[in-house]
Amino acid sequence: MRSVIRAERLDSGYGHKVIVAGAELLVQPGEIVTLIGPNGAGKSTVLKTIAGQLEPIAGTIYIGDAERSAYSLTDIAKKQAVMLTERKPAEKMTCEEVVSLGRYPYTGRLGILSENDKKIVRDTMELVHVTELADRNYDHISDGQRQRVLLARAICQEPEIMILDEPTSYLDIRHKLEFLDLLRSLTQEKEIGVIMSMHELELAHLIADKVICVSADGKVVKTGSPEEVFTDELISSLYSLGDGRLREVYSGFVKSIEKNG
Amino acid sequence: MRNSRIKACYALLGVLLLVLILLNILIGSSSMTMGDALKILFSHDTVSKYGKIVWDIRMPRILAAALLGGALSVSGFLLQTFFANPIAGPYILGISSGAKLVVACVMIFALSHGMMVHSLVMIIAAFAGSLAVTGVILLISGKVRSMAVLIVCGVMVGYICSAVTEFLVTFADDSNIVNLHNWSMGSFSAVSWDNISVIALVVLIAVIVSFLLSKPMNAFQMGEQYAVSVGVDIRSFRIGLITLSSILSATVTAFAGPISFVGIAVPHIIRSITDTSKPVVMIPQCFLGGSVFCLFCDLLARSLFAPTEMSISSMTAVFGAPVVIAMLIGRKKR
Repeated sequence: MRSVIRAERLDSGYGHKVIVAGAELLVQPGEIVTLIGPNGAGKSTVLKTIAGQLEPIAGTIYIGDAERSAYSLTDIAKKQAVMLTERKPAEKMTCEEVVSLGRYPYTGRLGILSENDKKIVRDTMELVHVTELADRNYDHISDGQRQRVLLARAICQEPEIMILDEPTSYLDIRHKLEFLDLLRSLTQEKEIGVIMSMHELELAHLIADKVICVSADGKVVKTGSPEEVFTDELISSLYSLGDGRLREVYSGFVKSIEKNG
Repeated sequence: MRNSRIKACYALLGVLLLVLILLNILIGSSSMTMGDALKILFSHDTVSKYGKIVWDIRMPRILAAALLGGALSVSGFLLQTFFANPIAGPYILGISSGAKLVVACVMIFALSHGMMVHSLVMIIAAFAGSLAVTGVILLISGKVRSMAVLIVCGVMVGYICSAVTEFLVTFADDSNIVNLHNWSMGSFSAVSWDNISVIALVVLIAVIVSFLLSKPMNAFQMGEQYAVSVGVDIRSFRIGLITLSSILSATVTAFAGPISFVGIAVPHIIRSITDTSKPVVMIPQCFLGGSVFCLFCDLLARSLFAPTEMSISSMTAVFGAPVVIAMLIGRKKR
């Protein structure tokens, strides 16, 4: 099976403190893999470790066929793009400048964009529908627009793998769907493998090809298709929900919509 | 649109720089006409009365103000990038005061043993002081999340260093005090031609290396995680940034004493004019802006109440602090 990224017996955490132990995961080209699990389970920790923000405590990460450590930092950056939750006011940066930063691994010493780089930036902004934001200050746009700009930035990096940490958390339902539709179509077209964490179970069900469940005690308890994972039993125990609560929330919601529809 | 603003800013700074250099040559306790000055400049006349004044007194001081002002401003910009905080600067974080303390120690020791202190030794002493305080600030920044608290801690560390310096100066031999006192207040007057060549070498190399780091700095402005994700070797980048900003502010402190607010005010003014914070633009413009700002302040410091000369730091505070206050209010509003 061809994988863009793969982890074997991966222990991730901070310093020597293991937060998620023995994770096995594999992402194929064009596939969307979603991490779900309760707050504090360590989904972000796993993603940060795969992204190279944290050193793995044990285990091996493969990018393509080779071990991650065999690549230079720039080579990794040409294969792997991220959208993490870090949010830092980038003073006086326009959206176009933010997107252009995606070309970082490809530009020379001073980071000056070539004509080709500029074209890729323009085309990507067109694809992600942020062309009209080009000259706007990145700090002054809405959360939905910001996530699209960051998506453009990541696509611009021409990665084979994209790692996203809760990309839809701060968006309203329309923007959540818009974002996920865009992500789906772009990554399928460009054969980018996606691994991301999500809190919205119904959306994970909608978008994911494969779901990985990380439990509160830091273990991967189940990996499978949405149909296999989203069962009352599994989800209730994963999130320690009381009897019937899951049905109450989701079935109740569906009934209400259907009754009035 | 933005490009034209950047070009306009370069043009403005270039013109101001030339005008201020000229004014600094002309104005002083013995004024000369434009004709005299130009003749002296182009004939390299170093023997006549005016020739001596221009070449021995005013020129080194002009070069010192231009080079050290630029260094201070770039040092401020590097610290602001590092801490992701526009209020960071070598003076406010106590880094200049740390440098002052170590330089004062070295000077008192050398003077009491009748030794001369070489320019490079001064820079190294100041660099050691800068690094020590930067280390303390970094330790604090690992413990506190709030940037405001970090800045207050920096101010406190600065006070402690200044207090210890005062203490040392008070107990130094009488003859040393005059020398030390002038310097510890901040002044470009004591810089010699020998100093200038060392200053030029150190400052220009540090600024050029900083400029070559523009690209990772740009990525770092988007956050550390992003910088890592696009391939920045974050550890060596951080070390490089801190080392460069320390070298730059140390050089200033070694020769002109601590100078306040230039490192915060100038980058802010430049950002407002050019409407960008891209390091590729900011570093050269901050350097020019710092030169202009310090030449302007030094001109006022020595001519406003002539023959009494004011400390350069009081001038930079008068013009720099309001800019910083305006910036803080402007940020709150948004």
